[in-house]
Amino acid sequence: MTRSLNEPRVLDLARRAALSAAVPAIGGALALTTLVMLAVGVNPADAYPALIRGAVADGNLEYTIAAFVPTLGMALAFALPLRAGEFNLGGDGQMAAGGIAAAALALAVPLPPVLAVVLPLLVAALAGGLVAALAAPLSTRLRVPAIVGTLLISAPAVSLASYLVRFPLAEQGSGIAQTPVLPDAAHLPALGGSGYVTLGLPLVVALTGIWLYADGRTVLGYEMRARGHNPEFARYGGVHVDRLAGYALAGGGAFAGLVGGLIVLGPPYRFVDGALTAPGYTFTAVAAVLLAASRPLAVPVAVALLTVLQVGGQGMEREAGVPSQLTQIVQGLIIVIVAVLATVRRRAAE
Amino acid sequence: MNIFELSFLSGVLTATAPVLLAALGGLICQVAGVFNIALEGQLLWGAFTAVVVSDVTGSAWTGVAGAIAATVLFSGMLSAASVGLRADPIVVAVGLNLLALGLTGFLMRRIFGSGGTYSSPELAGLPTLAELGLDVPVLGPQSPLVPLALALVVAAAWWLGRTRSGLRVRAVGQHREAAEAAGLRVGAYRHGVVLVAGALCGLAGAQLALGNVTLFSEGMSAGRGWIAVVAVMLSGVLPYRLLLACLLFGFAEAVGFRLQGARLPQQAADAAPYVITLFALVLAAVAARRRPKEAS
Amino acid sequence: MSVPAAELVGVSKRFGPVLANDGIDLAVARGEVHAVVGENGAGKSTLMSILYGLHRPDSGHVLRAGERIRLRSPADGIRHGLGMVHQRFRLFPGLTVAENIVIGAEPVARGRVDQETAHRAVADLSAKYGLRADPAAQVGGLPVGVRQRVEILRALYRQAEVLILDEPTAVLTPAEAGRLFEVLRTVAATGVAILLVTHKLTEVLAASDRVTVLRQGRVTGRFATADTSADELVHAMIGRSLAAPEPRRRSKPDGDPALAVRDLTVHDADGVPRLSGVSFAVRPGEIVGIAGVAGSGQRELLDTVTGLRSPGRTGQVLLDGAPVVQGRDPRVAYVPEDRHGRATAPEMSLAENLLMGEQHRLATRFGLPRKTVRARAEQLTERFAISAASVDVPITALSGGNAQKAVLARELTRQSRVIVVEEPTQGVDVGVRERVHALLVAARDQGGAILLQSSELSELRELSDRVLVLFEGRLVAEFDADATEERLGQAMTGVLP
Repeated sequence: MTRSLNEPRVLDLARRAALSAAVPAIGGALALTTLVMLAVGVNPADAYPALIRGAVADGNLEYTIAAFVPTLGMALAFALPLRAGEFNLGGDGQMAAGGIAAAALALAVPLPPVLAVVLPLLVAALAGGLVAALAAPLSTRLRVPAIVGTLLISAPAVSLASYLVRFPLAEQGSGIAQTPVLPDAAHLPALGGSGYVTLGLPLVVALTGIWLYADGRTVLGYEMRARGHNPEFARYGGVHVDRLAGYALAGGGAFAGLVGGLIVLGPPYRFVDGALTAPGYTFTAVAAVLLAASRPLAVPVAVALLTVLQVGGQGMEREAGVPSQLTQIVQGLIIVIVAVLATVRRRAAE
Repeated sequence: MNIFELSFLSGVLTATAPVLLAALGGLICQVAGVFNIALEGQLLWGAFTAVVVSDVTGSAWTGVAGAIAATVLFSGMLSAASVGLRADPIVVAVGLNLLALGLTGFLMRRIFGSGGTYSSPELAGLPTLAELGLDVPVLGPQSPLVPLALALVVAAAWWLGRTRSGLRVRAVGQHREAAEAAGLRVGAYRHGVVLVAGALCGLAGAQLALGNVTLFSEGMSAGRGWIAVVAVMLSGVLPYRLLLACLLFGFAEAVGFRLQGARLPQQAADAAPYVITLFALVLAAVAARRRPKEAS
Repeated sequence: MSVPAAELVGVSKRFGPVLANDGIDLAVARGEVHAVVGENGAGKSTLMSILYGLHRPDSGHVLRAGERIRLRSPADGIRHGLGMVHQRFRLFPGLTVAENIVIGAEPVARGRVDQETAHRAVADLSAKYGLRADPAAQVGGLPVGVRQRVEILRALYRQAEVLILDEPTAVLTPAEAGRLFEVLRTVAATGVAILLVTHKLTEVLAASDRVTVLRQGRVTGRFATADTSADELVHAMIGRSLAAPEPRRRSKPDGDPALAVRDLTVHDADGVPRLSGVSFAVRPGEIVGIAGVAGSGQRELLDTVTGLRSPGRTGQVLLDGAPVVQGRDPRVAYVPEDRHGRATAPEMSLAENLLMGEQHRLATRFGLPRKTVRARAEQLTERFAISAASVDVPITALSGGNAQKAVLARELTRQSRVIVVEEPTQGVDVGVRERVHALLVAARDQGGAILLQSSELSELRELSDRVLVLFEGRLVAEFDADATEERLGQAMTGVLP
């Protein structure tokens, strides 16, 4: 009955990966993308190499890695509550709240080194967590699904951050809506002389590891998954399901807030209005998590893949003149195909 | 600011119409048991296709027809995936909303050559009722789609409450297995409402891009589809209550619009509809908890 | 015999590994009541679903009045004059009785559903067959007996010439069942062919003209009711004669009550009382049964005793003298009726389903070690003879009986003195049923205080040391284990003994 941890397990994993929804989903999405390209008169033979070059060649790899960090963070922001059965689509607002909170603290309070980085990040996580947690009582007490609640709360949060950066926290004399540059002590150290990649990378990777452990091997993770699978079962088992929804959303929001903080504390070391939400980390992350199809270990892999697609898309736009919105199309298609495959497979299993 | 001015009331109606049309689509889906949260994407797609067709043909009415046709097609993806193949409607809708955003941004650059906002003298907007010779207060400055939206509320109430297909749609939404056992073709009704919702979102998009304004800008649905989803939740699937919920939103947007003129930052105007919608949602839910039955 | 009203020829149907129907032939004539009997899982419901068009057979076909017909959906079945009354009613709670009956063939006038004509048609049918139901009432608030009449009326309204009833008496009291059989006689007398699916032999003998017996998907006997006996039918159903029931070993309850309920009143969200002034006690070493027609307050009682329900409650629930903890009292073991909705998370693994409730006890400082979780699951799987490919498979991959054994394994090993059990053998085969009963008796003998709710009177009488009867939210009677089903039934319908 017990399976050995040796070779067969590895083979089994490989087989399951190949048969999982991810491979046909990506394949299907790429096929449809190619069709879209052909339909609008773009030569895929030009576009795809441009996409790959845009993601990995000529120093672009560094930029791709830099984009991987916030995307992975936002993937955790979506995946953590999802495991407990709550959809967090309000990542933008939580991220903006975190970013503006971190910037405000770093600008207002002169802090000694190390603390000048750590405290703003903590405050960012706190701010993001609070914004997300607002949706929890809406969901558990008032039966407003979190998918709606988080999204509705997100928009005013983004507006509030935008207001703060334009007025109370604005850099005087600049035409751009941005804060002044943060004090040097609050700059996240760059990694190995890189211009973009900071200490945020190991931090987010470590947090991902902690999440994976907590999800699979702790009581909290078990109870969250039980709630996600069947809330009535969890309630029957004595789990405090409502409290858990609050923890899950707050936890997700904290990741999103932290991502906002990491962006602000990284180059160009200030909060620029719209710079957090414009790259679309939130929905790239949503697509990646859904692509991973409730296999937590696959989340970082899916994030890496979609980040390459996202960054490469900009290269494709520069080189081949294909609008980078193509990557959004691909992400949307991936999500739809994953959803369809999930049901088709479940029905085939029955 | 005087909210009793006729021009303000007119502004409320203008802001209400697109949300109301989309919300009507959401409502009939809800009645049939389909949770449709792809309204945002459908609305955006409707707005875009209305502008493209109107721009190409020079006729706003062809634009409206084109938007309806294109959005029904777009909704076909939702109905095929979530009704036909029984995929999770929430996940499918998340994907379709993203797809609509990507498709409109992408095609806009391919067709009009640049992103951001597109407007042109060639782009024909919908005529106002005043221009059509019906110069009455409040409705005069509106496109004919606005009174149409109001009429559709009445039509939806009649259809769902009185007609055979309306009864069947309600039955399908109440109990899937029972409907099958009674010999009703559940899938057909569910496909049907999703496609009709597509047509309504096409109308909503056309009103937004050719009625409220005459332009297309990226992401111009700006959360209205989500507000429509909330309006459906607030309505208790009753069309007249849906109208009230949408009017509340229109009121919030009109107030926000006025506030901009009154030295308040634009961010407050942007946030106003969401904040008011959230408050309405909370109040309605609290009220529903206070007196749990009565409504049903 | 003339051409049968309906005939199934060589029908086979497979669900995954289970061959539910294996080459079944069955014919029913106009005007006869034809009983289809067999144990749970013998394939009766599948066969009837095929006849009605809900399932399609893998092979074989259906004849209707001698003509071969193709059934792709219930719509086809209805069109060919078939009607079905489902075990779990297929009604629309938010629609009226008349709307539920006419739906699919609504009278229409000037674009609208003609409510007046519909109401008149329903009233006429009601009167003709003696099936009383108010056409204007909303179905959601009606008692089960009336709902069943609505289903029968719907089939008659659609002019069914073959009427299938799937376990129609499962939700009825003995008296209501008697009235139902009278109605069926009236209906049959008009030339309708009636298929009565049941596993209760007394009903078969009392109400049918002919009997077809199924076992493990095959026909194992065909009888004219007048020429057969209960023994013969049992033999065909289970392939052996029923052993004489063992004399029940009563255990003597002793000590203070483990569970005491005092003057419990529960109101639902609308302020309607669901339980009124209920008081009773369960002592260690006894099984107390709860009887009552569906919706008499059983749900509210069990949810309150387990702590799952809190709002709208007055009175006391004491476990070993201390009030019940809200949320889910860990001192209560609880086997719920709803196996997929409450007792398990179908897509989680068997091991994780067996873990619920024990997760804090098994946790270490570093979390929840997988090895411990699996080891415990494997131990339970072996001890309770749960057959599963491994403890890592999702519990939905297990058969209903094995899933139920898993739930019992989890709950009976909680070391709770108070054990609440709800419909413990619903949808499991006879072997599992015996095993489940043995487990419950063993738990009682080890000092368990068991509160047992079951809609099967035979099960209640077999297991309980005492039976309490709920009627409209009140405890109206208490019987010892020797009470007859008739007396229980009278109490369940408010006719006090």
